[in-house]
Amino acid sequence: MRSIQLKNITKSYQDDLILENLNLTIPEGKFFALLGPSGCGKTTILRLIAGFETVNSGSIYLGDEDITYKPINKRRVNTVFQNYALFPHMSVFDNVAYGLVVKGVAPEEINERVIKVLRAVHLEAHVYKHIKNLSGGQQQRVALARAIINEPEVLLLDEPLAALDIRLKEKVLIELIELQDKLKTTFIYVTHDPSEALTVADQMAIMNYDGTVEQIGTPKEIYEFPQSSFVAQFVGNTNIFGGTYQEKDGQSYIDIPYLGTFSLFIPRKKEWMVAGKSIVMSIRPEKFFIAKKEVDGFSNRLKGIVESIVYHGRSTQYNIRLENQQLVQVFEQNEEHFPQQVIDYDNELYLYWQKENVVVVER
Amino acid sequence: MQFFDYIKKEIPFIVGVPALVWQVLFFVIPLFCIVGLAFTGKPFEYFAPFFDPVFGAVLVRSLIMALSNGLLCLSIAYPLTYFLAFKAGRLRIPGLFLLIVPFWTNFLLHIYAWFFVLEKNGFLNTLLLSAGIICEPLNLLNSWFSVMVMMVYYYMPFMILPLYAQFEKFDKRLFEASLDLGASWLQTIWYVLIPATMPGIISGFFLVFVPSFGEFAIPELMGGDKFLCVGSLVSYCVLSAETASYGAAFTILCSCVLIIASVTIYWLLSQAIKVRA
Repeated sequence: MRSIQLKNITKSYQDDLILENLNLTIPEGKFFALLGPSGCGKTTILRLIAGFETVNSGSIYLGDEDITYKPINKRRVNTVFQNYALFPHMSVFDNVAYGLVVKGVAPEEINERVIKVLRAVHLEAHVYKHIKNLSGGQQQRVALARAIINEPEVLLLDEPLAALDIRLKEKVLIELIELQDKLKTTFIYVTHDPSEALTVADQMAIMNYDGTVEQIGTPKEIYEFPQSSFVAQFVGNTNIFGGTYQEKDGQSYIDIPYLGTFSLFIPRKKEWMVAGKSIVMSIRPEKFFIAKKEVDGFSNRLKGIVESIVYHGRSTQYNIRLENQQLVQVFEQNEEHFPQQVIDYDNELYLYWQKENVVVVER
Repeated sequence: MQFFDYIKKEIPFIVGVPALVWQVLFFVIPLFCIVGLAFTGKPFEYFAPFFDPVFGAVLVRSLIMALSNGLLCLSIAYPLTYFLAFKAGRLRIPGLFLLIVPFWTNFLLHIYAWFFVLEKNGFLNTLLLSAGIICEPLNLLNSWFSVMVMMVYYYMPFMILPLYAQFEKFDKRLFEASLDLGASWLQTIWYVLIPATMPGIISGFFLVFVPSFGEFAIPELMGGDKFLCVGSLVSYCVLSAETASYGAAFTILCSCVLIIASVTIYWLLSQAIKVRA
């Protein structure tokens, strides 16, 4: 278990600049998720750490050791590949044992350790099966077992669950978390799926299309307190309102054209918060409270008309057209079989929210 | 309607009929003719090849030639294919093309071209002399050397093409996976690439080994009269009426030896894979 530090990394393929002066520290012993849209360079980061690619400039540290130009096979780092890259001509046992065999570990020890690892990933019933005869989920576990048997300092996971169905994915995610808890190895999990990242990560970094890191934090920080509209929109659903920042008697407001002025809660004032500044307000769909009649106790209110209703089972999504023609999403938990207010198409509604539940970012 | 359904069902068979007729006419019937011919001589005459040391020597020589041709082709073709498939980049297709181009010219032309290269005052000798490596011209023709040069040259594409097809299928990420798990480059070749390309190795080896055992023209023309192989011997025998049954019997013996040798080699190769796993 050691940390990874990327210092001023620049990487390009031919003329295509992927990463430019990237700095990123991945703390030791944490489950770290690297989240970003396709093509943002997150897999490149993983491949640089593993050694499959070399940097144009900058350096990579494993703990305090500079591994920038260390050969792949000398790095105490192992990878779970996106398509597993299992050896097709070998059995489950041979695949998992490979890392030990090439190091010349004694056969009895190999036997013992392979069985132990296979037990950890619940594959003890398939030891001598051929790779071709395994399901996708089982192959994924073999890939995991093969990577952790070398007891790496850092385990790299490159979209390891992309090929699994949603049920299995949820199950394996929980197992990954448990495994990381047990091994205490630093896990770096690359994904484009925000829900996966939010589920597994202790710490996560969000990358933008241009290969820059937008924000680093715990999943809760990322979801509840995004620092840019990109993060707010990429991680989960949200409603974005553009307006200008205003201040009166020490209270902050946002002035949204054709909608009105709404109060804001600013715990720590930033230097860009000056009157007249263009800002963006993000409200998560579940932070709204909707009612047909007026109610008390909320700091802000909007009016709108229900345009469509999407039933999700656990919750219902209402798409509501506001007076400025903007469409907002609202999620309501389906708590009761027979709710007191039945909301239907074309109903006129009030949307309430507390000013503490919104996030304001610079435009 | 029923008739058409019947026709439809039998289409695979109908399509196969010409090939079947061809095989029967030009392979099965001649095979029986040869077996028949072998048994038309004097009683027990068909046992003669088993006891004649000349026939035995020819058989062993051909076997050695075929085996070494297979091994030489493999050891040259494998690295070459590795380069073509993984390192050549845009030169991949032109490279393959260059390997196949010689096939488009006449076979005898190849042989005479090699004469010019290998003869006493030919290209190779001149080159070596002017480089000061040798003092007098070498006798390169009519030797194992000249035969093997021509054999390897001629059979190389039969080794490269099946190998290349297998290399194409090879998932290059397996290299990364292997190195990632701590294997060295050589270990990766040995444990991952070679086993994964084994089907190509086996089919390439037999594509070279089997026809080179019966090769007629190359040992005949490049090896001179000292280099008698099964192909030449069979043709000498069969061309004269008195020895035709000898030739036929010898042919059958050769086929048996070839089958036994092939099965043994195949068994050895598959055993080698098992031991390693």
